[in-house]
Amino acid sequence: MSVLFAVVVGLLMGVVFGVALEKSRVFEPAVIVGQMQLKNFLMLKVFLTAVATGAIVLAALNGFGFVKLQPKAALYAADIVGGLVLGVGIALAGACPGTVLTQIGAGYRDALFTLLGGLSGAVAYSYAEPAFKGTMLTAGGGKIILSDLMAVPYWLAALALAGLLIAALVALEWWRPWRQEIGRDVDGDIGSSAGTTARGRLAPAE
Amino acid sequence: MPRLTDRVWSPYVAGIVIGLLQIPAFLLIETALGASSSYVTIGGLLASLVDQDVLKIGYVARHVAATGKNWWQVALVVGVALGAFVSMRWSGARRQAIAPIWARALGTSSPTVRYAVAFAAGFVMLFGARIADGCTSGHGLSGVAQLAVGSFVAVTAMFVGGIVAGRLVLRRI
Repeated sequence: MSVLFAVVVGLLMGVVFGVALEKSRVFEPAVIVGQMQLKNFLMLKVFLTAVATGAIVLAALNGFGFVKLQPKAALYAADIVGGLVLGVGIALAGACPGTVLTQIGAGYRDALFTLLGGLSGAVAYSYAEPAFKGTMLTAGGGKIILSDLMAVPYWLAALALAGLLIAALVALEWWRPWRQEIGRDVDGDIGSSAGTTARGRLAPAE
Repeated sequence: MPRLTDRVWSPYVAGIVIGLLQIPAFLLIETALGASSSYVTIGGLLASLVDQDVLKIGYVARHVAATGKNWWQVALVVGVALGAFVSMRWSGARRQAIAPIWARALGTSSPTVRYAVAFAAGFVMLFGARIADGCTSGHGLSGVAQLAVGSFVAVTAMFVGGIVAGRLVLRRI
């Protein structure tokens, strides 16, 4: 695989990814912050649908022997510590590392600062990385997948996961219909109770 | 039928499109969707402009190497920005410089405060993603779909960290 081929494929896939992220509104700060404040569940809907779809296509591709899986190693301390830190960053940025680029494309200026911060954070980690070697954070390392632990074929467990996720999505949609989470300016801002109070307050007498 | 001129697609349609992207990722690039490694590639190259020695760090050297996987992911995230831009232009869903929720979430409408918070949050986000060796895409979309045990742990931690910060640090939007 030449680098040029990979770059062309990456650009084409990225454009499709960017269009899907923009249309879904999942990149909106109101959607991401709203998800973390358990007020708006659009992020979970897009995320779980993409995971279920991915599980189904990988069950087929891997089950028929077209591709090898590429799971990351299970580094539990790193997954927990890194995941928590990443989650804090996602809430305060109102973005994740991929959706920052969507925000920039859609015109949010603050996302440029998120991107610069992200590049700086990646560089800071790079300088610290040699010091992390041999610590708790690099302990573990097996590429463990759930289906191996359950002693069933990957495709079977992946389809079971997809089935569970689809059931969860049906329940989620019944509980919180997605059209009610989009907001008037399609930015996932479905208003605040504080805003309603402010608008409802009587104007002070002159 | 979803159109490119729509301002909104159903989250289920968009999610299916995103999930289907695993097909070219696995078949053509032999990798899974991910985004945060590209920050090391670009960050490392930018850092090397002021400190050549950064390229001697094995971790950086691995990420800036001229391999298909490294530069595929950089191209992917550039494509994401392009795709979002054309999608926004087609639909006319223009955005303000700063989303209106930030005035509520931060308790101030000062752009300087928001820019500072965004920079710091971006820093924390990528530092965490690199510790965990993946983000919402690599661990979330790809890791969970592959049933990787570490990814289930990482995604749970992400939501826990995000919910705690979203509720304790930010004001209710």
